[in-house]
Amino acid sequence: MKRRDFLLLSAGALAGCGLHPGVALRRNAPGMAEGHALRDIRSLPPPSAEIETDVVILGSGVAGLSAGWRLASQGYRDFLMVAGPEWHGNASGALLGGTPCPLGAHYLPIPGPAATHVRDLLAQMGVIEQGASALKPTYDERCLIHAPEERLYLNGQWHDGLIPPGNTSDETAQIKRFFDYVHGLRGQAGSDGKRVFEIPSALSSQDPQWRALDQISFAQWLDRQHYTAAPLRWYLDYACRDDYGANSSRVSAWAGLHYFASRNGAASNADDDAVLTWPDGLNPLARHMAGRIGADRLLPGLAAHVTERNGRADVLVWQPQQRRTLRIRARKAICAMPLHVAAHVVEPMRALGFDTRDHMPAHAPWLVSNFVFDQFPAEAQGVPLAWDNVVYGSNSLGYVVATHQLIRAARPERTVFTAYHALAEHTPEAGRRWLQQASDDALYTLASSDLAQVYGWKLWRNASRVDFTLRGHAMAVPGPGFLGNAGLAALRAVDGAVQFAHADLSGFSIFEEAAWWGDVAATRLLQG
Amino acid sequence: MDRILILSVFVVASCGLAYELIAGALASYLLGDSVLQFSSIIGCYLFAMGVGSHLSKYVKDENTLGAFVEIELLVGLIGGLSTTLLFLVFAWASAPFRSVLYALVFIIGVFVGMEIPLVMRVMNARNAEFKELVSRVLTFDYLGALAVSLLFPLVLAPHLGMARTGLLFGVLNAAVAVWTCWCFRNSIPQLAAKLSRAGLVLLALLTAFAFSDRLTTWAEKGLFGDDVIHAETTRYQRMVVTRWHDDLRLYLNGNLQFSSRDEHRYHEALVHPVLATLPWAKRVLILGGGDGLALREVLRYPNIEHTTLVDLDPAMTTLFATAPQLTALNKGSLKDKRATVINADAAQWLESNSEVFDAIIIDFPDPTNFALGKLYSVPMYRLVQRHLSQNGLAVVQSTSPYFAPKSYWCIDATLREAGFHTWPYHTYVPSFGEWGFILFASTATYRPPERYALPMRFLDAASTRLMFQFPADMQKVDVEPNRLNSQSLVHYFEDDWRNVQR
Repeated sequence: MKRRDFLLLSAGALAGCGLHPGVALRRNAPGMAEGHALRDIRSLPPPSAEIETDVVILGSGVAGLSAGWRLASQGYRDFLMVAGPEWHGNASGALLGGTPCPLGAHYLPIPGPAATHVRDLLAQMGVIEQGASALKPTYDERCLIHAPEERLYLNGQWHDGLIPPGNTSDETAQIKRFFDYVHGLRGQAGSDGKRVFEIPSALSSQDPQWRALDQISFAQWLDRQHYTAAPLRWYLDYACRDDYGANSSRVSAWAGLHYFASRNGAASNADDDAVLTWPDGLNPLARHMAGRIGADRLLPGLAAHVTERNGRADVLVWQPQQRRTLRIRARKAICAMPLHVAAHVVEPMRALGFDTRDHMPAHAPWLVSNFVFDQFPAEAQGVPLAWDNVVYGSNSLGYVVATHQLIRAARPERTVFTAYHALAEHTPEAGRRWLQQASDDALYTLASSDLAQVYGWKLWRNASRVDFTLRGHAMAVPGPGFLGNAGLAALRAVDGAVQFAHADLSGFSIFEEAAWWGDVAATRLLQG
Repeated sequence: MDRILILSVFVVASCGLAYELIAGALASYLLGDSVLQFSSIIGCYLFAMGVGSHLSKYVKDENTLGAFVEIELLVGLIGGLSTTLLFLVFAWASAPFRSVLYALVFIIGVFVGMEIPLVMRVMNARNAEFKELVSRVLTFDYLGALAVSLLFPLVLAPHLGMARTGLLFGVLNAAVAVWTCWCFRNSIPQLAAKLSRAGLVLLALLTAFAFSDRLTTWAEKGLFGDDVIHAETTRYQRMVVTRWHDDLRLYLNGNLQFSSRDEHRYHEALVHPVLATLPWAKRVLILGGGDGLALREVLRYPNIEHTTLVDLDPAMTTLFATAPQLTALNKGSLKDKRATVINADAAQWLESNSEVFDAIIIDFPDPTNFALGKLYSVPMYRLVQRHLSQNGLAVVQSTSPYFAPKSYWCIDATLREAGFHTWPYHTYVPSFGEWGFILFASTATYRPPERYALPMRFLDAASTRLMFQFPADMQKVDVEPNRLNSQSLVHYFEDDWRNVQR
């Protein structure tokens, strides 16, 4: 090696070490390569086999699993499920350094009385121990988030809860006024007698007066109601990014209020706002449903082409690993895939009433980063390490601790902190481009922004590995006007050989909505 | 005259090294990680000495002797009292301890650094030859260091203890000051003032010397006033075993775990109300209790064929299985062939194991934080239930029903929530005050024992009857069970002790 090369190499190594010495970085963009291949290459090998089935579910995310789980639970056997590019979709999890951790969604608020589909599932799993249809069921405490649940990093100290205090008495009064208002809304019914904000959202009131909220952004609504306090607005932006992947200025006022006013779950053995979680996020729910469906019904691969032929569904499944395609003919196909994929795969969408150009919801890109720690970093003053840890003023969403739910007197030797970041500072397209082109160092800098602020240099000393999960189209953003999206309404009503089940049909992506549309599709099949 | 100066160099050098050694030993003893503590103390001290040597040039030539006397008095006072002061600071608050430690080490180092240059200047002024001067001063400087480096670990630290060793060297420094004053009484200005100051310093040091035991005992509530026979910082906790006459004590993170004078009360009350009523019991599980004292009581029953003890900290069970003074106390229970010792987190072990026991004895630390609070939760007790035989009995140490009534009755409510029948009881343990236990079982058939087949030091029929009665000032309070979601017990425990502690 020449001296010049050596110097260059050393300089390069030093530069690489500067941010994260000794930390191994890995990245995974589920579905990106497959999705782009499908979009760009239109010639696939001819099908090597044909399968006849009654029902085929296309996608193994929460909507698809929920449809399959409902079918299997009702004793319905003649169906198959095609996994899609990522098993369990947004509810996937991983085992890193021996610690289970989430790769996507990580919590589920205890369901209210209207979310019977979620309660049925939780009861079957034993998470609801008693009273699945009672106002206040009894939950398995191990799955409710253990105290301390959440904390906020503010002025170098950790504070209890996520809501920042007001700086002046006026700000404090605004914060109180807002939460009093949204708590009041929880019991608010529209002119048709239904709750204004319900989960599932399909059961919400159709009262036009309330639905008019959808015409403006949440930020506009807040301005009009004189909610100007900076701490409150930061918190509300945080909440919108957390559930919708966008700030309050790009979220419908109806959706912004839905976040706070829809939850009405209660438990006989926990606080009303209790939240369920598992070390690997929502993956145990997905695994349970997949287990009920049965491994023999699960096919790897992804739908490359879906169409209706002579009243039956005709699906071309591409299995890139096996380098082959299969043709599946079914009485019904349930497209449990996000609509940006369906737009390329299902033919023709326009005939079903969905015009891609006018009706496609924006999909927010997310970066989910799992930091494997060989040692817990030293904590700042204040509330001890909680399950959810958020930095005040940050654009990121903080981090959750995968080992929080363990019943242990001593901290485990290793843990995983999962940091979430919705790229809401860009438009979704720009965010996706950024993710696609970002270097490892750039990803690390973005992913670790909260952790670095809280732990400083101790971060890379204690972390041994970081796994980035890049989700280019993580969730639909419920922008102003989303309730009146005619394309979504058309897809929700489709009852032909090709049907749809996905959280995109609601226009926003939470477990309960995805599971709802899976449940609706399965119930329609069982009745039809 | 020069001989006197040389002798004072010897004493001064001894004292200088002594303060350094005491500070290093104290730091590694109180903070752990001795390599780091010694290195940083020595570094700080030597650097401060350099600063002192530099500052010595600002002392005017006509005042060198006077300055030397003043510095000796200051070193004697500050150095001598530093150890006692550090003990007090550590006892009151551990946060500023490091800052106070390094500040003291630095101040002492600065003064000690001025000593030798001043002595050399005094001798130089008395026309000593330079090469002779340097050689003699440094020779005695290093000899003094050697003497103390041997005396300190072999004689002084073990016999006098840290605090009194520090005070002793303070007295020596002050004595050098007095002696110098006396020998050079004609060339020292303001002699009387200096002598009276020296008298005050000596008085302060000797008084502190006389009361140093009482001072540290009072400061540390007995913790470091006693002889420390073992101190160790493990992955999980700070473990200190002390001895004072026949009283052996174990402290974990500064909290008293037992005193050998009355531990029999605690452990008899913990074990026998369960085992005396289970003559058929063969298998016992102990969770916590790494000191082997509950195990000692369990193994007294010939019907017990096997006992499993699960304790988190291997350092704890190893110490109590090997140190002679401690195995004398637990009668070698941890090495008994009927006992299996497992080092694991209790819940993790219960989750991954399916053994069933006739009796389960739970002796966890108090629920002082969220992690420990989980060990007193409904899911934890459900886990315990899976390991308890149908007619088996279990017991849990449950804090004090007198000082921490909400915590105590919260544990009772938690056990009931988990589906157990409970029998709360309490007894007086002088080291702890009124202490509580809760006996629990899946069936409601338990009756407290009316006699004990084995000889007891404390329990008898009358004291047992009293244990299960709660007088008017210890009545049950209405509290929420400890659910993982809210961890009410941790909050109750904080409230309870905030009301008791001043």
